[in-house]
Amino acid sequence: MIQLEPNIEKASVQICTRCIYDERVNAITFDEKGECNYCKQIDQLEKQYGTGTSEGDKALELIVKDVKKAGKGKKYDCVVGVSGGTDSSYMLYLALKWGLRPLAVHYDNTWNSAIATENIRKVLSALNVDLYTHVTDNKEADDIFKAFFSASVAEIEASTDLALAETMYRAASKYGVKYVFEGHSFITEGITPVGRNYFDGKYIKSIHKKFGKLSMKTYPLMTFSRFLYWTVFKRIKKIRPFWYIDYNKEQARSFLEKEYDWKYYGGHHLENRMTAFFHSYYMPKKFNTDYRNNTLSAKVRMGKMDRIEAWKEYNTEPYLEADLLEYFKKRLSLTEKEFQDIMNKAPKSWYEFPTYKKRFERLKPLFFTLAKANLVPMSFYLKYCFPSKNN
Amino acid sequence: MITIVDYGMGNLGSVFNMFKKIGVASKITSDLEEIKTATKLLLPGVGSFDKAIQRINTSKIKEVLDYKVLTEQTPILGICLGMQLLTNSSEEGIEKGLGYINASTKKFSSQDKKMKVPHMGWNLVHKSTKSKLTDGFIQESRFYFVHSYYVEVENQENSILKTNYGLEFDSAIQHENVYGAQFHPEKSHKFGMKLLENFSKI
Amino acid sequence: MLQTRIIPCLLLKDDSLVKTVNFKKPAYIGDPVNTARIFNELEVDELTLLDISATSNKKKPNFKILAELANECFMPLAYGGGINDFEDAKKIFQIGIEKVIINSIAFSKPAFITELAEHFGNQAIVASIDVKKNMFGKYQVFSNSGTKKQKVDPVDWAQELEQLGAGEILLTAIHQEGTWMGFDINIIEKISNAVNIPVIANGGASSIEDIEKAVKQGNASAVSLGSMVVYQNKGMGVLVNFPDTEKLNKVLK
Repeated sequence: MIQLEPNIEKASVQICTRCIYDERVNAITFDEKGECNYCKQIDQLEKQYGTGTSEGDKALELIVKDVKKAGKGKKYDCVVGVSGGTDSSYMLYLALKWGLRPLAVHYDNTWNSAIATENIRKVLSALNVDLYTHVTDNKEADDIFKAFFSASVAEIEASTDLALAETMYRAASKYGVKYVFEGHSFITEGITPVGRNYFDGKYIKSIHKKFGKLSMKTYPLMTFSRFLYWTVFKRIKKIRPFWYIDYNKEQARSFLEKEYDWKYYGGHHLENRMTAFFHSYYMPKKFNTDYRNNTLSAKVRMGKMDRIEAWKEYNTEPYLEADLLEYFKKRLSLTEKEFQDIMNKAPKSWYEFPTYKKRFERLKPLFFTLAKANLVPMSFYLKYCFPSKNN
Repeated sequence: MITIVDYGMGNLGSVFNMFKKIGVASKITSDLEEIKTATKLLLPGVGSFDKAIQRINTSKIKEVLDYKVLTEQTPILGICLGMQLLTNSSEEGIEKGLGYINASTKKFSSQDKKMKVPHMGWNLVHKSTKSKLTDGFIQESRFYFVHSYYVEVENQENSILKTNYGLEFDSAIQHENVYGAQFHPEKSHKFGMKLLENFSKI
Repeated sequence: MLQTRIIPCLLLKDDSLVKTVNFKKPAYIGDPVNTARIFNELEVDELTLLDISATSNKKKPNFKILAELANECFMPLAYGGGINDFEDAKKIFQIGIEKVIINSIAFSKPAFITELAEHFGNQAIVASIDVKKNMFGKYQVFSNSGTKKQKVDPVDWAQELEQLGAGEILLTAIHQEGTWMGFDINIIEKISNAVNIPVIANGGASSIEDIEKAVKQGNASAVSLGSMVVYQNKGMGVLVNFPDTEKLNKVLK
């Protein structure tokens, strides 16, 4: 990643006057005030969901009521995906506070660090919540990671993200649960701009078919039919509570630290080494993309951080854990030369491979209906069902 | 840079790894020239006393060590069997020890059924005579031990750490530039790292 | 006083970690090196890795994984599975593993134990005894991952292994393994009282209370944990963990 001049006054690119997304961000536009379309998108979502207002609170209250009703007589009434991170850990606490009976679900891509597993253990033990885990055979998981790396595409984390979604559905289905709670907050995280990164089950299958070596036996692939099965047939809903209520991430963090001896890994994605590699090295070095502007922009919008400070921080080298690259090469059996050769290969894009994208676009009306019914997140609809604009 | 003496016994790789982890340069070698130019020496050891002494003698490492340790006063740290080699003799064998510290190595007697031999596992150490090697050790410092023989110093001032296993024995010793640790710092997590770090600073 | 060793015991099958129940039905747990790394970060006292497919598949130990493991861990490591000749054992020690665990080969080549003990020291050789309790309550010794019944009595065998030069005994109750139903205190006590070398109790641990029983009633010198350290709880999801040290210390004082 080519860091720019950290002094925002001297920046050579146009930067949003409200956050710090700059002109290099995919599909960005600025209005006459210099404010970007992503800021507007967040404003619009805030209005739609009544985030942090009594409307939002009421809407969530109704949802919680429905969850309780649907869960009567069942062992659990909702599923909460956990990673050991702030959002999911705090979400569990809230779920119990609201009187729900959650099942914690974790997808283990076998690259977890002790901090993540310890955080999961501490929170679950203190709150007395059961855990459902899906572990993919490490050789298979690595084979898929290596396939994406060899393909020179950006979405090396896709297999983990999609597998988590599939695992949550499987866990929900196993116990007859109709609600999956996700800790995503568009306010604290922002919305990842569309177009650049993309993933779906067919994409993962295509990359794996072309570059992978082992057959997929334990990896939980979410195919299109599986996706429809969970949403249309099983009608499992996806709820994002932080879209409705006021959520202060820093306060949540202190609370978790104090109550459960939960540990913060400093925002450097040290909870999972593949995630750390993706954010701190792979994206910046090969794709000139640094996602730190998502959270930094969010902080600026919320008035938690000074815009000048945020831009400065954004334009410093990302933190790289010592030994991370060694570990990455070792896990994927890459020599230094093989690693460098692949890193230096020209980046490829998702649209050069078979995916379900066109299918999603064709079925836009269906997914709009599903989004309105909370059967798919609205952000999914916005990202997947519209033709992508690529820079 | 710490020169780890390779005389064919002891898992040198683990010691090297821990030095690496704490950012201290080290080198494993059996080359006499390299040992001659060492600024700090580490003497590892796993196995039997006699075999170790014999190897040190036949490889001519003995002469070099004598010179480095006794004449040049190069700091040396003996670990586990390596510490026992620094003593005068051992009940395990008949060979003469290096004799760098006035002490002898004795066998744990297996009379008490609860005190199984070898002494194997994690045990606490308490400070005796002050030493740079044990600077900054927290109260409840513990290390991994695995040995059937223990060291007893002639003069208490040479005992820098003591451990209890049926009897109180000297778990770490020092005489001027010569140091010994009966336990395995390279297998004792942060406690071992502290000790090796201290040694690197001497 | 010596602190009782509580040792996570990980099972390796074809490059992946698994967990069995009564030595059957291996379920995926994760990547061996990453899991060992987690235990290292948790600062556990010791770690044991058993390759449960090596002997039956007539394979050599996976030296590559062992080397990676030894690199990651700053505590003692013990390895067992398919160690049949001196050179393999030597290689394992050179990699940085503290102890080798010998099971099946001891029945056909008991002198192998003596050979290893003489060269590497008794404390580096762990003899592994797998026992099953039949419906009459009689304990029988099995080898080759619980598939081959041996005619020897467990106590006699333990004493013979001690004579041959083993420094420790790893005693596994196949009928308890993976069941979360607690240790078989009876056999642990029998073996611990019959030998002078340390006995590590393995198979069935579900709680700190179970650990306490194995040590205080069974006289075990150390305790090995399987399901407890890889699952959140009985029947629950995979979660690498280790019992609370404070609670353990309180109970084992």
